[in-house]
Amino acid sequence: MSQMLRNALAGLTALVAVSAAPALAQEQGKLDEVLARGKLIVGTGSTNAPWHFKDESGNLVGFDIDIAKIVAKGLFGDDTKIEFVDQSSDARIPNVTTGKVDITCQFMTVTAERAQQVNFTIPYYREGVALLVSANGKIKTYDELKAAGSGVTVSVLQNVYAEDMVHAALPEAKVDQYDSVDLIYEALNSGRADAAATDQSSAKWLIVTTPGRYLDAGYGWNPQSYSCAVRRGDQDWLNFVNTTLHEAMTGVEFGTYSASFKKWFGVDLPPPAIGFPVEYQ
Amino acid sequence: MVEPGTFLYELWVSRWAILDGFGTTVLVSMLAIVLGTILGTLVGLVLVYGGWVSRFLVRIYVDFVRGTPVFVLVLASFYLLSQIGIQLTAFQAGLFALVVFCSTHVGENLRGALQSLPRGQTEAAKAIGLTFPQIFVYVLAPQALRQALPAWINTATEMVKASTLLSVIGVAELLLVSRQIISRNFMSLEFYFFAGLIYFLIDYAIERAGKAVERRVALPS
Repeated sequence: MSQMLRNALAGLTALVAVSAAPALAQEQGKLDEVLARGKLIVGTGSTNAPWHFKDESGNLVGFDIDIAKIVAKGLFGDDTKIEFVDQSSDARIPNVTTGKVDITCQFMTVTAERAQQVNFTIPYYREGVALLVSANGKIKTYDELKAAGSGVTVSVLQNVYAEDMVHAALPEAKVDQYDSVDLIYEALNSGRADAAATDQSSAKWLIVTTPGRYLDAGYGWNPQSYSCAVRRGDQDWLNFVNTTLHEAMTGVEFGTYSASFKKWFGVDLPPPAIGFPVEYQ
Repeated sequence: MVEPGTFLYELWVSRWAILDGFGTTVLVSMLAIVLGTILGTLVGLVLVYGGWVSRFLVRIYVDFVRGTPVFVLVLASFYLLSQIGIQLTAFQAGLFALVVFCSTHVGENLRGALQSLPRGQTEAAKAIGLTFPQIFVYVLAPQALRQALPAWINTATEMVKASTLLSVIGVAELLLVSRQIISRNFMSLEFYFFAGLIYFLIDYAIERAGKAVERRVALPS
């Protein structure tokens, strides 16, 4: 289903890209267009906590949402001047290339293939795999897991690469694959698994939402960068977004960024060192 | 009082979201059925009584749409129409795709029903001096509509199910709302089952209503 969708969308995107090419040249820059419109149109999803999801009162919240708000604040000095377009993961690239959204911020992994279709901003998060362990279990750290060798069982979401992925961190561990995310946590809760391998962000979010129940074993691997994406060919708009995000992670908006990071991932970020810019260290 | 963390609690917390999604599903399905039926009736009439040019063009339309997955129609009306300057919201684009899809099915059903009537009836009606509009209204339509009714009800239930595809372009209908709720509480089994139950109830209601109409208009045999 998802593969079919992706192929269908890829076809449509190609078609659209061809037909839209002549119109592109005479358009004004996106930055001016957004400023004139008075609100930022952001493509994102609504079904993945803690990235973008509906809270109990139906508001769209999450780390992606906060990142988008930082961009809106940079544009208008007001993070409410924003319109979210709900899109599936497969619609991230088409909605950018067809101009339905100004920017997509939806836990989008940066790859060279995708960079041929859209322009990526600088990354705002580095995703990886984490090992989640039970807070009251005997094995709590990565070193203990590794030392236990073939004596540990790791639950993981079913995937062609799942076994190799776990073995990259714990070469001798026994790997149990499950059909859905709730089942891998269930295996951990019931003691059938000693650790659950899952996304860093999911692990941290689970620790935030169920305090005292789980711990992060403290090892991350399989790095992936998450960036926002904009339409190709508008360097001015890309620069603006990059500057905004960069200053959120290292400059004037660091407070906003780190408060959001703390809220969704439960981690206090050390403030950037004052003096020599952190980028060059 | 229901405990937090149970299905009933989560259901209660999400009641407005679910009601919203339910409303969107019902609204888009009903609009698609009504508009699709109106358009489809025209399609069916052209297929049977149109001149060869209009018949040829409508035939191409019907075969093209029926040979395309609804899913692709939904994506195409969302992405391609905007490229030729028609800016539709996700809801409008999805509704458009469903109406187009529905119209071809209704049209084909109607064509089949009209063509299944024996030619002799039209000839006999002509022989007693009825004009074509009279023949259609008094002789052909009453029989054809009765024949097309079961297939039409089937198409109506199909439209409700096809409306789930609108979640792909971000229309917050019942399925997307269910997925939003699941992403918050991870109760996938419970909420997918609940959504399935609601879809079943909508389609069951359509089917019962259809059966009641069928009984009501049935000819004494």
